[in-house]
Amino acid sequence: MEELVSNIKTLRQYLKKMIIDTLKLEDITIEDIEDDAPLFKEGLGLDSIDALELVVAIEKLFNVIIEDEDVGKRAFASINALARFIQEESE
Amino acid sequence: MRWIETEETVRFNEVDEWGMAWYGHYMAWFEVGRMALLRRFDLLPGQMVELGYIAPVINVNCDYKHPAACGDRIIIRTSVMKPEIAALVFQFEVMLEKDKVLLARGETTQVLLTPARKMIYRPSGELASRIARLVDFCVQD
Repeated sequence: MEELVSNIKTLRQYLKKMIIDTLKLEDITIEDIEDDAPLFKEGLGLDSIDALELVVAIEKLFNVIIEDEDVGKRAFASINALARFIQEESE
Repeated sequence: MRWIETEETVRFNEVDEWGMAWYGHYMAWFEVGRMALLRRFDLLPGQMVELGYIAPVINVNCDYKHPAACGDRIIIRTSVMKPEIAALVFQFEVMLEKDKVLLARGETTQVLLTPARKMIYRPSGELASRIARLVDFCVQD
């Protein structure tokens, strides 16, 4: 897991797959998710319940806690932001 | 799963032109059950506010199985599911008291917010322990 977290490129791909799997997004592939596009609303179109599910998955996989919407806004700003957030919190 | 039961009587003003309890009133009956269960665990809406949280319902569904009539005594059974995410998921069954005919089965989902309406992703402290006691009570056989 440490190796995965340290390589931002691999981590980004891993997070895209995690989002698709966790939220069972049937019509979306890894290629459809842009690194800098917002995950919520106008971007990937996720909603607040999706955030609750992602938080649980992230805690299980990376042991990183996102406790509320304030932290979530920063962490879920984009795939890039999420990858950086996980890297920072894993240090 | 452990349920708590509350009783109500279908009122004259709760039935429609066809003599059946109006579908929307089931939500009010769910609320009676929800309050009875929350009261046991000090999680009534006012108590949640004292802890610094509100818990609005964001989803409700209800399957109607059998009509209730004016004057029917009904039992509302209420429980909660073990949450996978930071949400309260209540289960409801409404049945006739006399022969236990199932009238409706429903579910509501509530999220946890601060009074400033920021969503809580991971409850902690006193709120988390009260919710844990509620869930432990309901999920045991």
